[in-house]
Amino acid sequence: MKLSSIKYLAFEGVRNTWANRLMTLASVGVLVACMTIMGLAVLISENVNLAIGNLEEQNVVIVSMKDYNWALYENDEKDDTASATQSTAESGAENTTQTPAGDKNGIKETDYIIHDEKEAKALCAEIEKLDNVLNAVYVSSEKGLEDAKHLIPDDMKDDFAFLDEENPMSCAAKVTMRDMAKFDETIRQIEKLEGVASITSQSEMANTINALKKGIGVAGFWIIAILVIISLVIVSNTIRITMYSRKLEISIMKAVGATDAFVRIPFVVEGMIIGLISAVISEVLLYFCYRIATETIVKSLGTVVKYGDMAFILFLMFAAIGVFAGVIGSAIMIGKYLKHEGSEFAAI
Amino acid sequence: MENFQQFTEQNVKPIIEFRGVSKTYQTGTHALDDVNIKINNGEFVFVVGSSGAGKSTFMKLIMREEKANTGKITVNGFDLTKMKRKDVPMLRRTMGIVFQDFRLIPTMNVFDNVAFAMRVVGADGRDIRKEVSKALAKVGLGHKARSMPNQLSGGEQQRVGLARALVNSPDLIIADEPTGNVDPNMSYEIVSLLTEINRKGTTILMVTHDHNLVRDFQHRVIMLDSGKIVADNVGGDI
Repeated sequence: MKLSSIKYLAFEGVRNTWANRLMTLASVGVLVACMTIMGLAVLISENVNLAIGNLEEQNVVIVSMKDYNWALYENDEKDDTASATQSTAESGAENTTQTPAGDKNGIKETDYIIHDEKEAKALCAEIEKLDNVLNAVYVSSEKGLEDAKHLIPDDMKDDFAFLDEENPMSCAAKVTMRDMAKFDETIRQIEKLEGVASITSQSEMANTINALKKGIGVAGFWIIAILVIISLVIVSNTIRITMYSRKLEISIMKAVGATDAFVRIPFVVEGMIIGLISAVISEVLLYFCYRIATETIVKSLGTVVKYGDMAFILFLMFAAIGVFAGVIGSAIMIGKYLKHEGSEFAAI
Repeated sequence: MENFQQFTEQNVKPIIEFRGVSKTYQTGTHALDDVNIKINNGEFVFVVGSSGAGKSTFMKLIMREEKANTGKITVNGFDLTKMKRKDVPMLRRTMGIVFQDFRLIPTMNVFDNVAFAMRVVGADGRDIRKEVSKALAKVGLGHKARSMPNQLSGGEQQRVGLARALVNSPDLIIADEPTGNVDPNMSYEIVSLLTEINRKGTTILMVTHDHNLVRDFQHRVIMLDSGKIVADNVGGDI
């Protein structure tokens, strides 16, 4: 096709849009409504993801290590079990005195795995090597105790006064995961590492976050899919009305030897123009809607996604949907009409 | 001598040929039944017949608006029975069509209505200006180029339609009752114009109900009745 023809057809598309300005306005109105809802769905989903991201960061897993304090605690438990067994045996057997080997607490070096800070940090490094681990920060037993003390309510502080003299905390690693969806799998991997005593986690919260993420993804997909279909129907309908008003021109075009593409292009251009105008209006409208919404609720939400960060992506999305709806909607409609010949147009 | 032979062959070569053509619509209407006809390059042919005789179907088959059920149709060297849908525009570019109801676009002026036929085939702006002016001058409407269709009489509107059919210099002009909506004086003027165009070598195929025109202009007459050719005479004799 020659450049002059393309220019002429593009101009015809613009002329059609103007000639059918009332229908164009109606279509743009509906498309703007669809696109604004789509944009809001995207922004809501982004904000929820941001909030979930914050939650994920807060949802740290505490990995306690098999250090001296752990061995001491384990030994205490063993002792309790042993004395219970011993008292049962005492009834029929001669009392024998057991002297535990090791230090004053009866702990041998082989009873625990993490002997010093260096080995603890090495375990942290090993945890950090796991795919889904964002970071593993070493927490000394002293720091762990200090943190724990902060959590004790004032009226119970007397009950925990013994903590000023002894530290029952093991050293630990504060682990943050990348993806909460792989939570269980990562926990299993950490448990297998040598030196890991126990893991304290909020698996329920992780499950809730995962469910929330999935739900938002599915809802977002369907909202956008349904609105894209609505957009297609709206643009098709506008093009159908335009075609109806131009059936005389189409019949003449075909009679004088216009190709299908020649007949089709002005309608496709018209569809594209409707889509692009709608995209621009939606972008502006969404900006103001979002600004008002965030000004009102930002205090309760804390941080929100900045519109500026999303503006370009949203415009691309709107333009793509608008052009897609315009091109496909008009192509479907004109395709039907192109099968008609000459006098048949009068009967349409 | 060789040139003369070539010239003669080209001129006697049929521009339209129907061989055993029949057309039955899906509704069961038998529109044409075993039609055999040849129309040579440069001829002026009137197609006559009562309503339902098959005239419209005959024209639609030539324009490839319809396809024959049986037989072979050749127009301007195109085999219409084997023709694919995408090639139909190429066939139509070799012919000019004049409609009974003029079919002018009411929102375009006279110039643009005629230019429209050239724009559709991708002509450039300079050619359009030149050829449209020539075509309007041929039909005597050079001075009305900026008028809108509703400012013209029926006869003038049909002359615009004729200019539009002429503007791409087609080998064949198909006129479907071009005088059906104009007064008798204007009818004579239009057929005179067509006769003049025919003298310059363009084949004219014109459907009409007007027996006076057929008698007065003395061209070949094909008469259809119940889908069959019942008469094919030269000299306006029906």
